[in-house]
Amino acid sequence: MLACLLILRRPGYGYALLETLESCGFAVDANTLYPLLRRLEKQGLLTAEWNTDESRPRKYYVTSPDGVALADILSRDWDELNTAFTKLRDDA
Amino acid sequence: MTTLTDRYVAEVLRGIPDRQRDDIARELRSSIADAVEVRVRTDEDAAKAEVEALAALGDPARLSAEYAGRPLHLIGPGLYLSYTRLLKTLLTTAVPLVFVGASAAGFAGSGTAGRVLWDAAGTALTVAMHVAFWVTLVFAAVQRMPSARDRRPGRWDPAMLPELPARRIDRASLIGGTSVATVLICLLVLVQLYGPVPVISPGLWESGWLYLAVVFAAVRIGFDLVGYYLGWGVPQAVANAVMGLAFAVLGVWVTAGGLLLNDAFLTAMGWPEGVVVWTVVIAVVLMALNDSVNGFVRALRRRTA
Repeated sequence: MLACLLILRRPGYGYALLETLESCGFAVDANTLYPLLRRLEKQGLLTAEWNTDESRPRKYYVTSPDGVALADILSRDWDELNTAFTKLRDDA
Repeated sequence: MTTLTDRYVAEVLRGIPDRQRDDIARELRSSIADAVEVRVRTDEDAAKAEVEALAALGDPARLSAEYAGRPLHLIGPGLYLSYTRLLKTLLTTAVPLVFVGASAAGFAGSGTAGRVLWDAAGTALTVAMHVAFWVTLVFAAVQRMPSARDRRPGRWDPAMLPELPARRIDRASLIGGTSVATVLICLLVLVQLYGPVPVISPGLWESGWLYLAVVFAAVRIGFDLVGYYLGWGVPQAVANAVMGLAFAVLGVWVTAGGLLLNDAFLTAMGWPEGVVVWTVVIAVVLMALNDSVNGFVRALRRRTA
């Protein structure tokens, strides 16, 4: 979820997000990603709008201000966890 | 869009509420089209690309449930323990009582003992199945109602731990109770059939009513086993007391009415009838009382320190 919030700071749509996540090394299923995007939109962490400019209309998601705030908190938690693990590993 | 995609999207839309259908349909179609396009660009046949793209999305029913937020389990981990505890309590208290009640009702009517017991067992089994079904249905419904589901019934708290039963004592009482009941029944049957003078009045014996006593003994043994293996709580103690009460009432009524003891036996032994009757009545009442009180004591001892 954190990865989605971070990547979508720049607007993106479903399939492209799937490809980006896979290229970054996150193994994710399409059938979990699409409902997740929808749930995040319902919770107000993403805002969505339909883009009809190109040949195929696509639904674009972008991280909302609430989403950015949550992403910051989660990133900080992640860093704390990371330092804890590194300390454990280096101590042993 | 070709028909395979149409069929897939239609299947996914089945479980989704009306107002979201349009949006989900459009988004899903565009995502599938994107996936197909990427595969076609790497020189794949369009039809095969479509099949692969849909296969990657997986079971449309599962996708639909994820979109709609429906749980894919009957009863979730949050409610499961409450469910099993309730089911266990109900089955170990209600079903034995139903069995005894059905046997009593059957013996009051006509029919061979075997037939009556068979029917009573059938009734008890039906009751057990009904209890299991309705409890499961209610819990499955609560799982799907967010307002009811999320109301926390109460955190578990170390004060709720049952006392550690001194296993040896419980096993001893289980074995003791079971063997006493069995020995008494065997003794009764043997004396009745092979003794010089039958103790129980022949009318009662032949009508098969005494099998009810056997049923009571069997249920008593059953309760002991339940207490040993499954755990004994206040509900079980209450059921036990109810059964004790039924036994006492029947026992007193049968004895005081002069139906129990054989007159020939009394004259042979030379005991005055009134004294013997009162002794048996008091014994029966004391036995039932002792058993019920014991049940409650055991239940309360296991509750809190």
